[in-house]
Amino acid sequence: MNLSQGERRLRVWANAKALPLQCLQKWLALKEPGRTQLLELAENLRMRTGQFVAALALLEEIAIREGREVGEILASPSLGRVYNSKGSGPGRARALLDELRSLRYPQLKHMLQRLGEEVAAIRLPRGIKIVFPHDLSSDEVRVELTAHGRVEMQQLLAALNSKTRELVRLAGIIGGTDDAFESK
Amino acid sequence: MKFDLETVVIEESCRTSALATRIMSGIPRSVGVRFVSDGRLAVRSPIAEHDAIGSAKRRMVILPRRGSFLMGCPASSTRFACCGYLVLVLASNCPMDCSYCFLQEHLANNPAFQVYANYHQALDELERLVRDNSGRNLRIGTGELADSLAFDSLTRISSDFINYFSKHQNLLLELKTKTDEIDHLLTLDCRGRTMVSWSLSPRRVFATSEHYTAPPQSRIKAAQRVLDAGYKVGFHLDPVITYPGAEHDYLELLEDVFDALAPQSIAFFSIGGLRMTPGLRAAARRRFPADKMLLGEDVLGADGRYRTFTPLRLRLFSKLRERLAKACPDLPVYLCMETASAHRSVFGAAPLTPAALGSRLAGC
Repeated sequence: MNLSQGERRLRVWANAKALPLQCLQKWLALKEPGRTQLLELAENLRMRTGQFVAALALLEEIAIREGREVGEILASPSLGRVYNSKGSGPGRARALLDELRSLRYPQLKHMLQRLGEEVAAIRLPRGIKIVFPHDLSSDEVRVELTAHGRVEMQQLLAALNSKTRELVRLAGIIGGTDDAFESK
Repeated sequence: MKFDLETVVIEESCRTSALATRIMSGIPRSVGVRFVSDGRLAVRSPIAEHDAIGSAKRRMVILPRRGSFLMGCPASSTRFACCGYLVLVLASNCPMDCSYCFLQEHLANNPAFQVYANYHQALDELERLVRDNSGRNLRIGTGELADSLAFDSLTRISSDFINYFSKHQNLLLELKTKTDEIDHLLTLDCRGRTMVSWSLSPRRVFATSEHYTAPPQSRIKAAQRVLDAGYKVGFHLDPVITYPGAEHDYLELLEDVFDALAPQSIAFFSIGGLRMTPGLRAAARRRFPADKMLLGEDVLGADGRYRTFTPLRLRLFSKLRERLAKACPDLPVYLCMETASAHRSVFGAAPLTPAALGSRLAGC
């Protein structure tokens, strides 16, 4: 077997990381320059095996969803910013995965940002926390109160009561009554 | 017969059955026929077979059903606001190949297309059901583990059931399909006790994901024809897939329906979002790696299924519900495999109990 230098390097990295065979085959099947770009990314960010497997899966899904090549996706400015940022390799690898998830789930990211802004705008006092389900996988909105003593509890409940309209609105957004997606 | 078969396998005990005789006389000569002592062995696929589920769809096995024919809907759960649907299992698997179909996982171990030669025994089960539930309206469908009409012009199974249900005013037979194979139904008198229902998707979903099915327009035309022949008609917007542009496409699809059929003439609409267990998701993506519809913004829920994240999914449901209510305020609409709270978000009211909803849908 006459392997190119690039493929040899790729196989060395995959072997050192005990990359599953199926994952290696998918990587080798990528078109250039995506295949080599991904290798450079993996080397420079010192990606762990799990991080690489997750990144490759996300890249494949984004490529299908958007009808783009992996190389084009890796060349996108948002990923470039992560790649060129300061910090440790594994830390940047985590940030890269977060950015890939944002590209893969753009409307979810948008909604989470929107809900974060809505919660901030309510200006709840310290001691009241709004918790949404992970990945907005249900319509549950949890309100957590943390009070120390009777007076604090009364104050928090009064504050909560004064924000009824805003909290109901939040529950409405997560229950799908929001028009944020209309033009999508 | 519209769908291709490669082989028909007949269990010896069914060799002389009426069903085997009808099928043998209806299949082309090119279809291979063999007899086996135990049909259950022919239902499985060789372990090493590439795309076992795909190739099994072209292998019909005629055998007796050893379990009961009647069961509760396999999708029902106390987690969900359900519709009280009962299922009559007369066949298993489907010659069509929708990329999202749950049968890819559900029938992974016994994927061949099975038809049950002793289906007349199902009538005895129905008799017992009627006796034990006198006065209750019940909706019973044959399209859960198979398409009700895909091979019906060959097997002619439905006609016996249409005849039986025509004599029971509190029973409604639902024949659920993605085909337009309805010609053989048109001469039967169902006396309003059979409904033909169609799963409907926008053209874009049909083109990418619903392989070998009839185009949405053909399904709607077929619905018009069975309605004219005295059948009830229902539609399942299921699975609703939240791809970019979905809202426009689904609303356009409803316009197509209402252009062809008066809203008042439709018995019900159901709405269900695309949901997949991890196993189904993996199987579907393996079989249809380029299908964008399988790559929505789906997240894992508490019931162990992936669905589009909640606000996006419920918003689309609400838009569809609004359009349906505008067309006909009394048109029954229900959600499939969604929680009571999702129901409240979409309809602004608590769901009916499964028994009450089931009775309403059966009596409609």
